Amino acid sequence: MSFEPKIIAFCCNWCSYAAADLAGISRMEYPSNVRIVRVMCSGMVHPETVLESFELGADGVMVLG
Amino acid sequence: MDVKGSEGDFSVTVKESPRYVDMDKCIACGECAIKCPKKVTDEYNAGTGKRKAIYVKYSQAVPLKYQIDPDNCIYLNKPGRCGACEKVCPAGAINFDDKEKIHEINVGSIIMAPGFQAFNPSEANIWGYGKYPNVITTMQLERYCSATGPTEGHLIRPSDGKPARKVAFLQCIGSRDENKCGNGYCSSVCCMYAIKEAVIAKDHAPGLETSIFFMDMRTHGKDFDRYYEKAKQDSGVRFIRSRIHGVEPVNAEGDLRVHYINEDGRQIEEFYDMVVLSVGLETPKEVVNLADNLGIAMTSGNFAQTSNFLPVLTSKPGIFTCGAFAGPKDIPQSVMEGSAAAAGAAQLLSNSRGSLTQQQTFPQERDISNEETAVGVFVCHCGSNIAGVVDVENVAAYAETLPGVVYVERNLFSCSQDTQDQMAKRIREKGLNRIVVAACTPRTHEPLFRETLKEAGINEYLFEMANIRNQNSWVHGAEPKKATQKAKDLIRMAVAKVLPQKPLYQLSVDVNQTALVIGGGLAGMTSALNLADQGYPVHLVEKTDQLCGFAKRLDRTWQGEDIQPQLAQLTQRIDEHHNITLHMEAEVSAVEGFIGNFKTTVQKKDGATVTIDHGAGVIATGGKRYRPVTEYGYGKLKGVYTGIEFDVARRVGDKNTKSVKSVVFIQCVGSRQTDRLYCSKVCCTHSIATAIKLKREDPSRQIYILYRDIRSYGEREALYKKAREMGVLFINYELYGAPEVKQDAEHGLRVKVMDHVLHRPVSIQADAVVLAEAILANPDAKKIGTLFKLPVDGDGFFQEAHAKLRPVDFATEGLFVAGLAHYPKPVEESISQAMAAAARAATVLSKQSINLEAIKAEVVKENCDGCALCIDVCPYHAISLTESTNEEGITSKRVTVNKAKCKGCGLCQGTCPKRGINVAGFTLDQIREQVVAALEV
Amino acid sequence: MEEITVSQNQTVGSVMVVGGGVAGMQSALDLANSGYFVYLLENSGAIGGAMAQLDKTFPTNDCAM
Repeated sequence: MSFEPKIIAFCCNWCSYAAADLAGISRMEYPSNVRIVRVMCSGMVHPETVLESFELGADGVMVLG
Repeated sequence: MDVKGSEGDFSVTVKESPRYVDMDKCIACGECAIKCPKKVTDEYNAGTGKRKAIYVKYSQAVPLKYQIDPDNCIYLNKPGRCGACEKVCPAGAINFDDKEKIHEINVGSIIMAPGFQAFNPSEANIWGYGKYPNVITTMQLERYCSATGPTEGHLIRPSDGKPARKVAFLQCIGSRDENKCGNGYCSSVCCMYAIKEAVIAKDHAPGLETSIFFMDMRTHGKDFDRYYEKAKQDSGVRFIRSRIHGVEPVNAEGDLRVHYINEDGRQIEEFYDMVVLSVGLETPKEVVNLADNLGIAMTSGNFAQTSNFLPVLTSKPGIFTCGAFAGPKDIPQSVMEGSAAAAGAAQLLSNSRGSLTQQQTFPQERDISNEETAVGVFVCHCGSNIAGVVDVENVAAYAETLPGVVYVERNLFSCSQDTQDQMAKRIREKGLNRIVVAACTPRTHEPLFRETLKEAGINEYLFEMANIRNQNSWVHGAEPKKATQKAKDLIRMAVAKVLPQKPLYQLSVDVNQTALVIGGGLAGMTSALNLADQGYPVHLVEKTDQLCGFAKRLDRTWQGEDIQPQLAQLTQRIDEHHNITLHMEAEVSAVEGFIGNFKTTVQKKDGATVTIDHGAGVIATGGKRYRPVTEYGYGKLKGVYTGIEFDVARRVGDKNTKSVKSVVFIQCVGSRQTDRLYCSKVCCTHSIATAIKLKREDPSRQIYILYRDIRSYGEREALYKKAREMGVLFINYELYGAPEVKQDAEHGLRVKVMDHVLHRPVSIQADAVVLAEAILANPDAKKIGTLFKLPVDGDGFFQEAHAKLRPVDFATEGLFVAGLAHYPKPVEESISQAMAAAARAATVLSKQSINLEAIKAEVVKENCDGCALCIDVCPYHAISLTESTNEEGITSKRVTVNKAKCKGCGLCQGTCPKRGINVAGFTLDQIREQVVAALEV
Repeated sequence: MEEITVSQNQTVGSVMVVGGGVAGMQSALDLANSGYFVYLLENSGAIGGAMAQLDKTFPTNDCAM
């Protein structure tokens, strides 16, 4: 089986999370490996949370804001 | 639309056109539009794309509900044919029998905001629009650059689909041109939008060359000149001062030839892939007719006639205006006027405030503190939007296995009213105390479900959504298995997040329904009077011993209205108003508090202080005029005045200024230079108006205006035209060839300047040289800014919360800005902004208490050690350091959060090295739980 | 001299806003938030006006949506 990375994306409610919604409205297909965690501002994501995500098994972490 | 009655009590007849789609049933899934066989030109995309006969106006439309275009629908034109939409609609929302409805509505006031239409250049038949495919309008380019446009943001030539490499923008298409389009006025916004499009287009097509052909570059708004310079220097947009009168085709591929005369007087021919016409703004014919029916007087340019002293009131009492209906204007000015018109209506109707509005009520909230966690999961099918891709039965069965979940249900449409009722019933029946809805996005639907929780009697924050539509079924339609797996993951993440969720309560703060206005100039006086008339007590603080501020020195508005009598009247009304307390010769010395509850200390000249409690504040500290240092012989040569000094001298009957035979105005003195890169906005119009006055008194006078760009925006253009007709001579100069003023050997002064039309230096004898001085920020702004913790920009003006959409708000809630303190502006714009600030303040002052969102930072007492790292990062100044001593006498430091100021952004949470601060509803633990759940399988 | 005066007669506490572009929406919101009932009229199927057609806005290049 090919490698399926697990990616955590922290998305700001006001921009990137909204953009992810808009991608849906526009039916833009993309790989299903991303799991989005909604935050009120990308600034609330603690560096420790990012490192922890890797420890917990994430292959990639995105902080989008 | 038909109106009867008068100010305070109108009866309006309104015709509602049938939509043929039931708004309560439509779920905006779009199945209908996919099946609809009829394609028509899409107005939203300015004709660059197609839409169906059943459509939503645009993908983010509000309301997001489909509608049928009756002119193009096959069924409506030939019943029995088609009807495809009705067959596929999963919600049964299509209603071909929908009928036009007539409503009779009783209102106290009417606000006209019908907007504008873009000029249609095909009528004039000279730029090849509609004939050559690569000639497009700026609105069309806007759509080509948009990700939701017909090319998804790819800039290609309509003729052959090749990427565009060279684009020319032609300015003033449908503006400043009575011959070809009948619109003599300047549309005010086209210079800036053309620059923006030229810059943005380069982002979309690297290597793209853009050229803008213009007459005068009118970048007079806040930060506009800086944008212009950046476009020139950083983005490499080319600017050519020349008006283009025609576009010619070159070949079958669609290349275009543009022909012009350059600044050296040479004939130049250039070739372009695409020509973009910067079309002006005009009032649609049907709006002109409507205005006519309502008895609203219009100007010669077909805009609503208003007084400069009441820029949002039409000629008809009780009917207000905002936006482009009363003259072409940009977004921030339109938004300001929107608020200003609201202020006008509220002032008129203050005796009936609150008479027709009502509050929603909810049942008593259940105490869940001793309950076992009981999660209910509601999985939405969204018709086939989710269920067509995701195996919802499988997902629901999975949800039942998750820890804490006691109840799972599937719904066809979770958002429908009957499902809402049922959900509330289930919450009560099953004793659910945490709810997960797996459906669409919380950004649109969380408020709705929160209401349902409130209806069901549990705290509205015990809720989480799993976004299995927008971020799952809609983007993984081709991979149903993976989408089903992802739906399970998303629900698991939502359950993990909602489990530790505690009830949260919106903070209710009492509002002191008193206003404070700082600055007793025209703006401050206007705000104070409006609020006082609306019924709120107002404290007006003025630093000097006189009201009226800058306006005290002005004669007339650009429309010729006499300013001093108006100021006298305002002053008298303020003196007499029972709601206004005046604090003269007083300055703010201390400020504390937050929205609804400010405490501002004001110190009088004699040292006495008074503390004012207020719920909202308007900052209108004004500006000051620039005093030239030694430019153009100012202060050394007799006969060199600033604009205001010249006016004052003439007003007091000064002989020298009365007898002048030759006058030279020099524009941009102190404005638009490297250290002050902004336009003072009022000086072009002011010099032109003075020039007209001088000519009118004595037509034999020689009047010259030396300018860089004439910025008589909007209908002020008529003054510019009139001045030229009266023989005022306008000579363009550039910064590198600035005029020189010297003492003349014979008598008076001599001005030398390079004339760019004649391409030679000219020398003018002058009796007076009038320098159009810049408007500067009030140096006090910095101090006031520090006291109120409000940002001031590099030029010293107050920085509003958002350049476009919140032009009078500060990021700090409850405080607003108006007048010259914000940016140089003419009288009518100061008044608009002052009324707008009053309207915005009234949204706070009209309430006895306000509820603040519960998503706020909370200090974790045992972890916070008072290191204070979070204090600096907080953009709202909501965090402070406090010291406390316990019973054993040990002093400790810890931060505290002012909940009223906190916006819940969580920068503190992301910064704190000790897990000492958390945002409720988005705690570090909750975020971690979600990550754990996401990576669990 | 023109001025807006507080009506001395009993008035109707509602306002009609004709047009749902940025200016009309702002009027409607401010009035509704300060104690007046608002009727917002729009002659197309959705509010937003001309601004909703724009891609970006000057001078900040913010997205118009």
